[in-house]
Amino acid sequence: MNWDRRAFVKFAVGAVVGLQASPLVPKLMDDVAIWTQNWSWVPDPETGSVAFAKSINPDTLTGVKTRLVKARLSGKRVIRVEGDPEHPLSQGGVIAADASVPQKAYYNAMRADAPMMRKEGVRGRVPAAEALKKVAEKLGELAKAGKASQVAIIADDPYSVTGEMLMRLAAAYGTPNLVFMPSAKQTLALAGQLLFGQNNIGFDLLNSSYTISFGTPLLEGFGAPVATRKAFAAWRKDPMNRATLVQVEPRSSVTASQADLWLACKPGTEGVMAFAIANLIIQSGQADSAVASAAGFDQFKAMLAGMYGLDKASQDTGVSAAKIKAVAEGFMKAPKAVAVCGPGNSGDPGRLFDFMAVLALNAVKGNLGKPGGVVLRENLPWKALGEPMAMPKTPSLDGSDDRIMGLDNAYDLAVAALSGKPYPLEALIVVGCNPAFSGPQAKVMQKLIDQIPFVVSVSEYLDETALMADVVLPAASFLECWGDCATPYGASQAFYGVHQPLIGIFPQAKSQGDWVLALAKELGGKAAAALPFADTKAALAARTAAMGGLDALAKKGYWMQAKPAYGFAFKTASGRLELTPQGLGGKLPVPAACIAPSKERPLLMAGIPSLRTGAGQQPLSPYQIKILDNVTLAHKDQLVAEINPKTAHDLHLGEGDVVEIASAAGKIKVGLHLYHGAAPGMVFVPVGLGHTAFGMYLKDKGANFFEAVEVAADPGSGLPQWALTPVSIAKAGGVSHV
Amino acid sequence: MSSSSSGIRYGMVIDVDKCTGCGACSVACMSENNIGVLPDETDKVRSITWLRVYQIDNHKPYPDTQIAFFPRPCQHCAGALGHHTPCVSVCPATATDRDEETGIVSQIPTRCIGCRYCVAACPYHARYFNWFDVPWPDGLDRPLSPFVAPRMRGVVEKCTFCFHRYQRAKNKAFVDGSTVAEKDYQTACTEACPSGAITFGDLNNPEHKVHELKKSPYAFRLLERLHTNTAVYYMSTREWVRRQADNYLSHEKLAKVQAGGGH
Repeated sequence: MNWDRRAFVKFAVGAVVGLQASPLVPKLMDDVAIWTQNWSWVPDPETGSVAFAKSINPDTLTGVKTRLVKARLSGKRVIRVEGDPEHPLSQGGVIAADASVPQKAYYNAMRADAPMMRKEGVRGRVPAAEALKKVAEKLGELAKAGKASQVAIIADDPYSVTGEMLMRLAAAYGTPNLVFMPSAKQTLALAGQLLFGQNNIGFDLLNSSYTISFGTPLLEGFGAPVATRKAFAAWRKDPMNRATLVQVEPRSSVTASQADLWLACKPGTEGVMAFAIANLIIQSGQADSAVASAAGFDQFKAMLAGMYGLDKASQDTGVSAAKIKAVAEGFMKAPKAVAVCGPGNSGDPGRLFDFMAVLALNAVKGNLGKPGGVVLRENLPWKALGEPMAMPKTPSLDGSDDRIMGLDNAYDLAVAALSGKPYPLEALIVVGCNPAFSGPQAKVMQKLIDQIPFVVSVSEYLDETALMADVVLPAASFLECWGDCATPYGASQAFYGVHQPLIGIFPQAKSQGDWVLALAKELGGKAAAALPFADTKAALAARTAAMGGLDALAKKGYWMQAKPAYGFAFKTASGRLELTPQGLGGKLPVPAACIAPSKERPLLMAGIPSLRTGAGQQPLSPYQIKILDNVTLAHKDQLVAEINPKTAHDLHLGEGDVVEIASAAGKIKVGLHLYHGAAPGMVFVPVGLGHTAFGMYLKDKGANFFEAVEVAADPGSGLPQWALTPVSIAKAGGVSHV
Repeated sequence: MSSSSSGIRYGMVIDVDKCTGCGACSVACMSENNIGVLPDETDKVRSITWLRVYQIDNHKPYPDTQIAFFPRPCQHCAGALGHHTPCVSVCPATATDRDEETGIVSQIPTRCIGCRYCVAACPYHARYFNWFDVPWPDGLDRPLSPFVAPRMRGVVEKCTFCFHRYQRAKNKAFVDGSTVAEKDYQTACTEACPSGAITFGDLNNPEHKVHELKKSPYAFRLLERLHTNTAVYYMSTREWVRRQADNYLSHEKLAKVQAGGGH
């Protein structure tokens, strides 16, 4: 055959057709794709046998199932934390903080993995014995010099076994300055104690058909978030026959948007709204009979009629009279209705006035001790770790000795210690919390930590506080150690959860309780005698002796009151409901002076509640950073604050403007997002970002809300308040398009 | 409704009225599927989120503003006539395919040549391209799941309805001599949602909850007028939410589009 043009074309066409018909091309492409993807830096997670183990996340009180893989070479590891459908409190499902537990537990850049000590200003790893010896020596010296009261302890949870150990340690050592981070549990207990003589109360949300939430983020972190969402899911089960949810707050939050009715009240007037509704019910003659026979009813009725009449309340709250009336009628008519109070939008412990107004409204409705109302919880059948101990006689720095129920206040402690009046602090032990970040007023806490000569941090993470500390004792995550947690805020049933070690990650990390016990042992004397336990497990065994023993409890994972207890008893001195509580000197609760914006600081700043960011107590995992939308964090590190378009217009500000929010306490830089749901005259800032620790995923992302927060003591409870801060806004230059 | 050769079509019904945008589904998905985290995740063009939760609002002034959330996994389109999935139809490397047995649109990263036609074709932004190799520094590789291979740069990835869970359930069913029941195969996001807003199952099986839910008068799908015939339904009693599921003009009435029709 001649190799002419025709032959060449034939050959070319044949080759193309042949190649098309053969598997060569796709096969080669496939192979090339695979060959070009076999890179050593793409991890190849080793497989192995899979097992499940149940536990509870003490930070969120979610019952979880952990998925463990046991591999031949890489050993046992946790790959997932999932919801446990059989858990009676959370009944399956998780929140983002639960699902990202493995990341936070394994990430070296976040965790404190070994005891550390600062020597000549440089922090380095040391053996545990050396670190403990140093702490004990320092505390011993102070005690010897009669300065035991100049040691303060700031801790996270008074209800945990670690909390109880710290109470015993503080008493034995001789310091009155043990404070716990403020929580709404304290405010609710106080309000219940004053009105009902009962401090262990909850809300039967699951059975309620009409719920009014007064300023608390019911769907964004209330109580045990997963358990609360189960109640919400039950309300929304049948689209044609839904339970009613009413949200009272200034911002169109997630809860407000999911509510059937949103009462957009002026900031700080939630309690006024509760009293206005109570007044309407009393005026209509439908108030419960227990209220009519309550101590101080006439005075109460006259006060409501005078100060919280419909027109005045409408004016004070900014909500139309018709809307208030409609809600009052709906609430009254509903067979199972409850009014709910709780932590504020940035995790603050709430105002006593609001809580008392809400509880009084429930009493007026007559839902105390009824299904779907306010219920009394059983006391947890736990046993004390030993005989009660006498508290030191030195007055405490935070002034808690003078308060009802002795509620402590970490902020007041810091202010008093900084001023040195009545005495300064020589040492500080921080257990399981991060006051240098979450304050409540971060700058003050940072100053305090900076000023105190000797600071110890018992922490799971190398957080802002740990980075400033002289000694860091690494705490284990709940996957690695024994520990416990008690009834979440507002739950209708008493609950107690236990977690146990499932896996070893950092060999030197111990439970917080183990560090407290080790320290007590090292101190010797009274401290060691007050805590005669070998380890946290032994202490838990003593604590849970009346709950069927630790082994059985650990196997099950929890103890829970079988069902909500209905029926109500007033345990006040008079044996009646006290609408003019004796605890307040027979006076009616009065609203806190409303924080008013001034000419210098014309706006009010509040936090944005979110289950994506949390309330700042726990760091976010890399995955949690990933789910933040660009209305929370934008342009790598720009925190985004919300402002009403009209307010922005009045201030000559626009979408994406970078501004500085300044309060009397500090300032933060944010980008602005114009959001119609933000109340005019306010600026709303995400909480929990702006860390200066925790590695590349979290460090320097956004700004810290708590650095701009100005804390004031609640006039009723004495607890620190940071729900609203007067601020000014000024352009800081630059525009970022959100 | 198109169906696969086996008659099974896995899908979801997401109740927008129960979703509070907490992101639990999204994080559960990331941890199940070894999704990587880049040092800067605010660049949403580069950020990979198989299940992204979008926030919308009703554009009304204060105090009538409302927000709602749309969790958006891959919609697992069947296409107008049951065989025209937008991404599958453009993939030159057969790296993505619609499984006739389950109705699930797969993604095989090792076959992907990174041309990104599928990313452009997807009307839901459900497909993501790995612009970078993901770092797994300082112990972050320890909690990686061995059941889903981590991806490298240069390939596309997306939600697979946790297909590895289906394979596991199928293996188990084979060993037991049974079939895959509703509870045996659930996606990670479904299990994670604390409100129970996500329901997953076989849309064609009357015994599965989704079969009934999708018939609700409040059920709708995203961009239904494109006739993509998706396997993910949403539910909301709020009309403004339903309107934003498709590009309705202000004067247009909300109409239920019959799926499966031609263009």
